[in-house]
Amino acid sequence: MNILTEINLIWPELCIALSAMCLLMIGAFRGDSSNKTITWVSICVMGVACLLVLLGPNNPSSAFNNLFIVDQFSNYSKILILMGAILTLILALPYNLREGIHQFEFPILLLFSVLGMMMMVSANDLIALYLGIELQSLSLYVLAAIRRDSIKSAEAGLKYFVLGALSSGILLYGMTMVYGFTGATGFNELELAFSNGVAKNQFIGVTVGLVFILCALAFKVSAVPFHMWTPDVYEGAPTPITAFFSIAPKIAAMILLSRVLLEPFGGLFIQWQQVICFISIASMAFGAFAAINQTNIKRLMAYSSIGHMGFVLVGLASGSIAGLQAVLLYLTVYLFMNVGTFACILAMKRDDRMVEEINQLAGLSRTNPKMTIALTVFMFSMAGIPPLAGFFGKYFVFKAAIDAELYTLTVIGLLASVVSAFYYLRIVKLMYFDEAVDKFDRSIGKEISFITIGMSFVTTLFIIILWPVLDFAAIAASSIFL
Amino acid sequence: MLTATIFLPLLGAIIAGLFGNRLGSRVSQLVTVIPLLVSAILSCFLLYHFGWTGETQTVNLFTWINVESLEISWVIYFDTLTAVMVFVVTLVSGMVHVYSIGYMSKDPHIPRFMSYLSLFTFFMLMLVTSNNLLQMFFGWEGVGLCSYLLIGFWFKKNSANAAAIKAFIVNRIGDFGFILGILAVFYFFETLQFAEIFKIAPDIAGKTFLFLGMEVDILTTICLLLFVGAMGKSAQIGLHTWLPDAMEGPTPVSALIHAATMVTAGVFMVVRLSPMFEYAPFALTIITIIGASTAFFAATIGLTQWDIKRVIAYSTCSQLGYMFFAVGVGAYPAAIFHLMTHAFFKALLFLGSGSVIHGMHDEQDMRKMGGLFSKMKITGSLMWIGSLALAGVPLFSGYYSKDIILESAFASHTGAGLLAYWAGIMAAFMTAFYSWRLLFLTFHGSSRVEENVLDKVHESPPIMLIPLLVLGLGAVLSGWFAVDYFVGDKMDQFWGSSILMLDDIIEKAHHIPGWAILLPTVVGVIGIISAWVLYIKSPSIIPRITAMTGPVYKFIYNKWYFDELYELLFVRPCFYLGRGFWRSGDVYVIDTVGPNGIAESVLNLAKRAGKVQSGYLYHYAFAMMIGVLILITWFLFGFFQ
Amino acid sequence: MIISSLAFYLFSFITIFSAVMVISARNPVHSVLFLILAFFNSAGLFVLLGAEFLAMILVVVYVGAVAVLFLFVVMMLDINFVELREGFLQYLPIGALVGIILMAELVLIFGSWVINPSSESIVTTSIVYNSDTTNTHALGQLIYTHYIYLFQAAGLLLLVAMIGAIVLTVRKRPTVKRQNISEQVAVRVDDVIEVKDVTSGSGI
Repeated sequence: MNILTEINLIWPELCIALSAMCLLMIGAFRGDSSNKTITWVSICVMGVACLLVLLGPNNPSSAFNNLFIVDQFSNYSKILILMGAILTLILALPYNLREGIHQFEFPILLLFSVLGMMMMVSANDLIALYLGIELQSLSLYVLAAIRRDSIKSAEAGLKYFVLGALSSGILLYGMTMVYGFTGATGFNELELAFSNGVAKNQFIGVTVGLVFILCALAFKVSAVPFHMWTPDVYEGAPTPITAFFSIAPKIAAMILLSRVLLEPFGGLFIQWQQVICFISIASMAFGAFAAINQTNIKRLMAYSSIGHMGFVLVGLASGSIAGLQAVLLYLTVYLFMNVGTFACILAMKRDDRMVEEINQLAGLSRTNPKMTIALTVFMFSMAGIPPLAGFFGKYFVFKAAIDAELYTLTVIGLLASVVSAFYYLRIVKLMYFDEAVDKFDRSIGKEISFITIGMSFVTTLFIIILWPVLDFAAIAASSIFL
Repeated sequence: MLTATIFLPLLGAIIAGLFGNRLGSRVSQLVTVIPLLVSAILSCFLLYHFGWTGETQTVNLFTWINVESLEISWVIYFDTLTAVMVFVVTLVSGMVHVYSIGYMSKDPHIPRFMSYLSLFTFFMLMLVTSNNLLQMFFGWEGVGLCSYLLIGFWFKKNSANAAAIKAFIVNRIGDFGFILGILAVFYFFETLQFAEIFKIAPDIAGKTFLFLGMEVDILTTICLLLFVGAMGKSAQIGLHTWLPDAMEGPTPVSALIHAATMVTAGVFMVVRLSPMFEYAPFALTIITIIGASTAFFAATIGLTQWDIKRVIAYSTCSQLGYMFFAVGVGAYPAAIFHLMTHAFFKALLFLGSGSVIHGMHDEQDMRKMGGLFSKMKITGSLMWIGSLALAGVPLFSGYYSKDIILESAFASHTGAGLLAYWAGIMAAFMTAFYSWRLLFLTFHGSSRVEENVLDKVHESPPIMLIPLLVLGLGAVLSGWFAVDYFVGDKMDQFWGSSILMLDDIIEKAHHIPGWAILLPTVVGVIGIISAWVLYIKSPSIIPRITAMTGPVYKFIYNKWYFDELYELLFVRPCFYLGRGFWRSGDVYVIDTVGPNGIAESVLNLAKRAGKVQSGYLYHYAFAMMIGVLILITWFLFGFFQ
Repeated sequence: MIISSLAFYLFSFITIFSAVMVISARNPVHSVLFLILAFFNSAGLFVLLGAEFLAMILVVVYVGAVAVLFLFVVMMLDINFVELREGFLQYLPIGALVGIILMAELVLIFGSWVINPSSESIVTTSIVYNSDTTNTHALGQLIYTHYIYLFQAAGLLLLVAMIGAIVLTVRKRPTVKRQNISEQVAVRVDDVIEVKDVTSGSGI
């Protein structure tokens, strides 16, 4: 294949990588004063990358000796990732300014992690997958710890790093096992190997290897029992970074997980379905129960995201086109809800200091009715109350599960959803019915209020764009099942 | 015109009910009274039209239910029977509305009251204009609801609340029978439309079904179940206990609902379904016996009560008994005839007693009255007219209707019929007696009114007296004016197809021995005379009689101990059972296992789940390794098995 | 053949032994030294497999740079390892249990390992390999052509690692005076030297 045609496939990645390096040079010479410029340029770069993704090829095509694949599925996820990154970076602007995070490396590291995620969703080989994961993780470790003067931030970064390293170890171990038993790392070759039928003695080794890989990827989507890092890291990291953590890497890891399970290991469906069911049930249940006692809203969001990932895994467990479509839809909805919620959390500021206690929201309906309405919309949506966006996510996921005859999983999921409604609604109750505490600051920055309003509109009126989104998701999902 | 007649009251009710507080009492009175009066006038034309032609007419409003074979529409169905009922309901209701303006003038909740009254009227009209059982049941429940609301209108009074609940619950018992009846009809007939039911009824007559191993007649079962509903609504013996208590409500309510209209719904229902009941002779016998015993039993209680409204209430009960045994012997037109005349004179009596109560400043005990005639001449005279009509004195309306009922009972020549006749004769005597006991105690004899009240006793304002006059006119004239049409020569043409009589009992009733015709009048007169002797001539005899008949008097005075019996048999066990279920079932089992238990265990779990998050890095890493281990072990086990 | 297998067993045994010693030695400096020993033996194993380049890289990078750096860190940081190990015994039983079970399972799995006969045909990578080409040459041919994508990605990864290290550690201390050559060069006499006439008997 001609090198130019290959480069044609990686324009978005190339654009981000080159810009990141240029911006790095600019930052290095201009110093931290260029932070704001670099941030805006990064946002623009990601916007351009988004465009390039849209302009890219539609039919599945691979490059670099099948290490890299571009198809509708990867394109859909790349757009989600880029949108998440753009929105969180915009949210981070006023926060960084206020909290004194002046390092120009902040947007650049974020760009690199986005690049890593895009490589993840386009990976067509175990090694490419690993490199993608490492690129995004390494950037995220640094981002988590970027507030050097905060012990919590440093602790978050360190915990994330050590546990992430452990998961990388597990991942590599699984990959070597798979390689050892099949002699291949490429997804296409693996698919071929399994489609030919697997010998019995080979089968078990591959399966266990797959389980190792699954565990490592479950760590990335913070599914139980590999979720332990999530609450601590979410709480310790700077809030915009937490927002970023809860959105883009989750989406990327989930997409990657789906591709790995459905493409190369599609032949082992019966085996991995059990694991996914187990992880999914554990995540939904744990996310629902553990969140109830939380007092810190960022921790609460951590448990909430664990629960949400459990719901997404329900769609994956059904292993059908409809299931994958539901996964994509859920992730889309999740992106909007989470960005909106974190925008509200970023607006929780009193006397120029961020507050993170849930109790501080008490009586917000009287002091700040607009923000209350927005946050109510997000909470209702997360609880899955129709006709808000969150409902459709859950609806299609469970529908796919029922079609796949996963009744137990569905019932447990619904029960978990009921329990989780408790803590979402508790926030709503706090805001409307409790004694008001002091007001929040008014000046939250126009970027934050803009995003809050935008996201609450999207969440409320999601039903209007539901069918187009579903169509795109269906096209994207079917490209995996070719 | 039909639609307007039915829906004008609803319009008034909605306006007064929803906007009453903003409009004020005066406007609320106007917006309810005027539509009702219009409706009443329209109903006169309708009665004239349908009575003259004997035709029927159906207005389909819209479809309500359409599920497979169950197809129910909202309709307004008119025939002579309906027209008579609509006429009675709207006329009496209109009068009561007008009367209420005066009677309730000092009440702070006038809009609510007027709205309830109009709403009641609307439901009653829905009931009588139905052409299927379901819409009838809708109206049936609607009037029950309004009755509950109006009995408990003075909701600050504990006794009123208790009475309202009692009325509701006792009615529910009857309604349960009604519902079962409707279900049974649907099960066997596969339709709820009257026309179709009547078409099929002759075929089903005599057929049986198996119930608990017994062969049971279908039609008898259905008719008895429906009759249970009628018993509840029309306060027949056994389910009558709510009616006297319902007098806790404002007097206009008693006049409208608990004398003239709602309580006659049971009678109406049976008459409306006459083409079905006619094929269930056994059910009719039961109805006759129940009716006769109610007539007799309620009259005895009426003899002993001191509360002016309760006397009339028992009288109502008794008169309803008359109507039922008329139905039972097959004299449906006679029942309806009596229903109409009774509506006039009983409403008159109630409103009259209301006028007395109003004049006496809310005093209802007859022992604290007496000699009021001089103070309230018009009310007194009208009460006389009402009582004359009630006692069946010739030329007054009650005479015609009661006589034809008793004659029909005699003419039926069945055991039950004769029993009913003699019970009716005795009840007629007692009716006359207690009516004049009421009159004498209230208006004549020496005054027992307390000193401070005596000066304030006054005649009621004209707004209350005019309705009395209209009803008095009805009580006097309706009998001889309508007798030809209802039960006389023009009967067949008048009723048209609305009533089915297999055996022309009315015709037979005109040919019975002379003494049997005269007897009711004679006993009535004797009753009046004995009341005069006891209460005016020589009142000193009364205590002696009371003492002589000691236990019997006490038995009757305490209303045959029905309330106590029920209290012992049903109410208290139910309370025990309820409390037991509440304590053991609800609190211990359901709450601890159910909501509270689940909530608590969720919180527990939440606490534990929170504790897992220790914050130690090596705990986290360890948890991950254990997770990996569990999954791999699971697979290996699965693989080697 | 016997010599090479003897060498294999020797290297493997020492590798495993020194790996155990890394985690069990009391003195952290000893641990690092054992780590270096393990690296050396692993390099030996690579040589036995015919991968001289990897062996060299292992020695140069891991022993020469990483491990020695590590040694410096361990020596310079005042970490009380004895204190760190407190509570270690508390978790030893359950940790050992988990380890043993995992180990047993893995042995079970690898015991059944055979090369899939079809896997050689699956591997499509065309390695130009004959006795003339050296290790380095072969690797270079692959990395810069076939695996260029991975190579570049790894490069980015290292770049990010470098950025991260700098972001997290470099502190600008305004109080510390630094040499600024361009400023020094640009200094003009007039700016820094002022000539004053001093009349005798009075100060400036």
